[in-house]
Amino acid sequence: MIKPMKIIFYSLAILLFIGPVFLLVLQSFTEVWQFSAGQSLTFQLDSYSTLVSDPNIMEATFWSLVIGACVLVINLVIGLLSGKALSSSSFKGKSLLEALFLAPILIPVLAIAMGLHLFMIRIGLADTWTGVVLIHLVPTLPYSIKIFHNAYHQFGNHLLEQAEILGATGFRQLHTIELPLLKPAIRSVTFLTIVISLSQYAITAIIGGGRIITLPLVFFPFLQTANTSLMAAFSVWFALLPFFMYLVVELLLLLLPYTRKPWRNLR
Amino acid sequence: MKYFIYLLLVLLFLLTGCGNNEEQPLSSLKEVTKQSWSDIEKSATGTTVRLYMWGGDEGINQYIDKWAIPHLKEKYNITLERVPMDTAQILQKLQTEKKANKQDGTIDLIWINGENFKNAKENGLLAGSFTDQLPNFKKFYDTDDPAFTIDFGTPVEGMEAPWGKVQFVFHYNSAKIEDPPSSFSELKGWIKKHPGKFTYPAAADFTGNAFLRHVLYAKADEPSDIYNSPLDEEAISDTAAKMWKYLNNIEPYLWRSGEHYPNSLTELDKLYSQGQVWMTMGYNEARAESLIAQGVFPETTKSFIMEPGSIGNTHFLSIPFNSSNIEGALTTINFMLSPEAQLAKYKPNYWGENTPISLDKLSKEMRKKFKAVDRGDSVLSQEKLEENFLPESEAAYVEWLEEQWFNEVVQQ
Repeated sequence: MIKPMKIIFYSLAILLFIGPVFLLVLQSFTEVWQFSAGQSLTFQLDSYSTLVSDPNIMEATFWSLVIGACVLVINLVIGLLSGKALSSSSFKGKSLLEALFLAPILIPVLAIAMGLHLFMIRIGLADTWTGVVLIHLVPTLPYSIKIFHNAYHQFGNHLLEQAEILGATGFRQLHTIELPLLKPAIRSVTFLTIVISLSQYAITAIIGGGRIITLPLVFFPFLQTANTSLMAAFSVWFALLPFFMYLVVELLLLLLPYTRKPWRNLR
Repeated sequence: MKYFIYLLLVLLFLLTGCGNNEEQPLSSLKEVTKQSWSDIEKSATGTTVRLYMWGGDEGINQYIDKWAIPHLKEKYNITLERVPMDTAQILQKLQTEKKANKQDGTIDLIWINGENFKNAKENGLLAGSFTDQLPNFKKFYDTDDPAFTIDFGTPVEGMEAPWGKVQFVFHYNSAKIEDPPSSFSELKGWIKKHPGKFTYPAAADFTGNAFLRHVLYAKADEPSDIYNSPLDEEAISDTAAKMWKYLNNIEPYLWRSGEHYPNSLTELDKLYSQGQVWMTMGYNEARAESLIAQGVFPETTKSFIMEPGSIGNTHFLSIPFNSSNIEGALTTINFMLSPEAQLAKYKPNYWGENTPISLDKLSKEMRKKFKAVDRGDSVLSQEKLEENFLPESEAAYVEWLEEQWFNEVVQQ
């Protein structure tokens, strides 16, 4: 029996998600299409050869990956710890603290970056990749803390208390109970953090000062070109990074207990 | 919790350890320029120069990467690094560094003109006057040319060296239009005959604003009334009224009946590329060449200019106040201004941009080489461009047009 809801779902998904991505990939391999001139598509690889011939692109991809990975790790550590603290303990001024944790996304990041730039010059962090990692924490951490806070809140304190009564150490609790249950939260944080970190142009330019070239620094000026094929090639390249990092995180998640390991089923 | 705090402290400590450099006493521009030119070139050998410039044009990037960098290395053993960054961001960075009194900057050269130059100069972000030190500038350029001494109404005072110049032209598809209009009144007639086939970018866009300045020049008694005088709203109110009338007059016949204007030149170029409009425009009289080669613009694209003329401006190279390699920066600028570098820039294979160099000051062979360059079919002749050249008005006009256009045209 065909479920009508399913048909609607799939056709909408194809129309709204897969279709545009397909067009983007197609555009990156074809010449600029003058559809009203009645031209047919001409396939080419020029946009990719232009992309690869830019001497900055490899360095920029490398730095984007390194910075993205560092930002992700710090986000996971801080987000997990503060999320747990917020949900398990109660103390005076907790709501104030929660509001403060969210503050960085309420204030424009650019304003924060300008103030921090001055401070970073004084302590010697400006123009270094560590400085860029730190500034990328500003727009990402509030989300991570919020996500982990909610995740801890959902499975409640009782589960952890039980483990504690049975004599499990803190690390064991984390490894066997919290992390497996937090998997969906970790996935969301991974995706959000990497995408946000990857797309920061202004704050990376200011704090990295041109010493640290990330992908958006190479990519964004090209938004002003009318060559849509080149733009499409850039976008495809840009989209591969979060995809790659997401895969790495997925593989790491397989190491957690209670995971159905695909290679076991092969035997 | 305690461990966490310790961990954070340790982390912070480690982080601050990484980037702390001892500040070295640096030579200022004044001290450097006291030396003879050959000494400056000598101490520039083997150094690295970091050029910060807008990086959104593949042709321009390739001119630097594939021509300038290897030639500079070969001739002076200078390593040139191109850093893509928007000029506004560069100035923001310099501004903060100035506040923090950071003397060992990372930027040695910037590409600048107009409004940005004015800001940089007023805020003391530039190293100072240096053009009278450059042998190539003195030898091959007309140093008193107003195009080099005044930049959008701001006196240059030797703080930036002319690198290139561009002129505003209109582009049209010669397969669809036989005779392009030659004045703004003819353009009006053409627009009314071909409704929906013309539009211009909004006034906030660099190019859209330049289009409005052309209309303003055209409606004044003499274009020099505008570009020779600072902005005085009272004095030009008559001219302004004529300009708004003209713009409101053509509005119903524009693309999408003028209800929507393209936000940027890129949008207009895309419309032109798709054949929705039949004309586009922009600074750099040769810019269509690379777009035709990439297949973005139709091959039948040609350019035209209208009465009273076409506005052109010069763009420059300058040195920021905290460059840590002034000798290298000076040597590089001198190299960029040399006839060889200008010739390579003039050829259409990379950049194809016009040169500010004085052809009559060049050697015979060099002049021949310049004359022999074929800039492409879409580029107007040098004579025609020079005859119709109009200088830029003061930067204040740009802002005024941007505000008033919204009130007078969009909201009407």
